[in-house]
Order: sequence, then structure tokens, then C-alpha cells
Amino acid sequence: MSRHEIRLRRKKLTARGTERFRNYDAVLKSHEENQRLKKVLKVFTLFAIILALVMLIIIVIRWEKRIMPQHEKENPVRTLPKS
Amino acid sequence: MTDDEIRKEQEIVERSKKDARAFGELYEKYFDRIFNYILRQTDDEELSGDLCSQTFINVLNNLNRYEFRGLPFSAWIYKIAGNEVNKHYRKNKGKKIFSIEELKVKELVERADEGWDEELINKLIDYMKDLPTDMLQVLELRYFEDKDFKEIAFILDMTESGAKMRTYRALDKLRKNFNIKVKYDE
Repeated sequence: MSRHEIRLRRKKLTARGTERFRNYDAVLKSHEENQRLKKVLKVFTLFAIILALVMLIIIVIRWEKRIMPQHEKENPVRTLPKS
Repeated sequence: MTDDEIRKEQEIVERSKKDARAFGELYEKYFDRIFNYILRQTDDEELSGDLCSQTFINVLNNLNRYEFRGLPFSAWIYKIAGNEVNKHYRKNKGKKIFSIEELKVKELVERADEGWDEELINKLIDYMKDLPTDMLQVLELRYFEDKDFKEIAFILDMTESGAKMRTYRALDKLRKNFNIKVKYDE
């Protein structure tokens, strides 16, 4: 069995024949929609990254706060009495 | 294509990167060629229209990534068109079709002895069925699209020597089996 099929075309498609498929306005519109979508996706990605960073900072701060009292209990700071 | 024409096209491409409307000129210039290139690989006008539009949308979407490599801009469009066709066949798992215009075949080969007949055409088609697909792709670009080997190598993602080797092997077989002279192959 061959990997492809060969067909013979008797008629050649002329420029007039391709005319009904030619539509640059539609191509341009599709491209612009695509660019808009790309921009939205870029903004969304940026927003998600910033959100993730902020959440990471909040988690780190909370974790530090939770750790600090324990640390202070274990190693209380001693102030020297005034002479 | 002359160097001057390639440079002029490059200027349009650079303008199109800033304003997509400028690309209309190249769209009009290459639409028919790309449409026929796709039609030769699908034998379906409606499908070719869709794939052709998708090709130009992809060209516009990726225009900022295009880098000039000394080849005509059309080589890049052909490459994208070929990728679209391959994507279509991968998705639909169909057998690849090569739809060849009879007139083009007659133009391409000149019989050394008697004239053309149905039997010879059928034999030629049977012979082409047995050729590897990549060999047919090279022949198609070389003789139906008049591309040079450098462009063919770029379009089909192969080396220039690989493209030459495939062409000459196919032509050698063609000459031996059919006693025909192939145009432009010197």
C-alpha cells in the first residue's frame, strides 16, 4: 500500500477561481483578534505572577511571625540592669 | 527573484511588522501560489481556502519572529503552508494526496519518442505512487513551484544536498523507466 495518493487534475484553477477564497480583511481581523487575545493573556500572566509573589511574601511574613514568639521564648533577650 | 526584489519585499515585511495592513501587498502577490501549492496537496478547494487563510494568519501572527536569511520571503510562507497541510493530515490521519495538473506534467516532461497517451500517464502516476513522500515533495517544489534547492531545503527542513539527492534519484528513475527527458534538470 502506498503512502500517498496521486490524482490527476485536468483543469487548472485560475486566478478567478481563487478569488472567492481571497479575503485579506478577514485575515487581518483574525490576526487582530489573535493579538488582542495574546495581550490579554500577557496581562493575565503578569497579574498571576504578581499575585503569586504577593501571596509568597504574605506567607513568609506570617511564618516569620509565628516563628518569632517561639524563638523569643527559647532565647529571651536579657537586658542589663542599669548601674 | 532578483536581489532588488528580495530587498523590496524585505522592506514591506519590516513595514508590516509595525502595521499589519502593509502586508496586504504580499498577501495579494502570493495568495494564488500558496493556494495552488496547498490545493496540490489536498485536492479540495474549500479545504485549501481554509488552510491558505490559516497560513496567512500564522504568517502575520509570527511576523515579528521572521528573520531574513537571504531567501525570498515566499520561502517562509511556503514553509508555514507546508506545516499547515501536515497538521491537517496528522489531525485527520488521512493518506497524503498529491493532485497534479495534467498540463503541468506534460510541460515538465517531453517524451523522447511518441506522444502522450493515457497509458503513459497512468504508468507515470503509478510510478509516483511508489516514490517516498519526501521525494515527491521535493519534486513538487522544484518543478511545479520553480524553487531552487536552497529554498526547498529551507521549506522542507532538510539540507541542500539532501534536496538535490532526492531530486536526482527520482529523476534518474523517471528517465530509466519512461524514456523521457525532464526539463530544467541540468
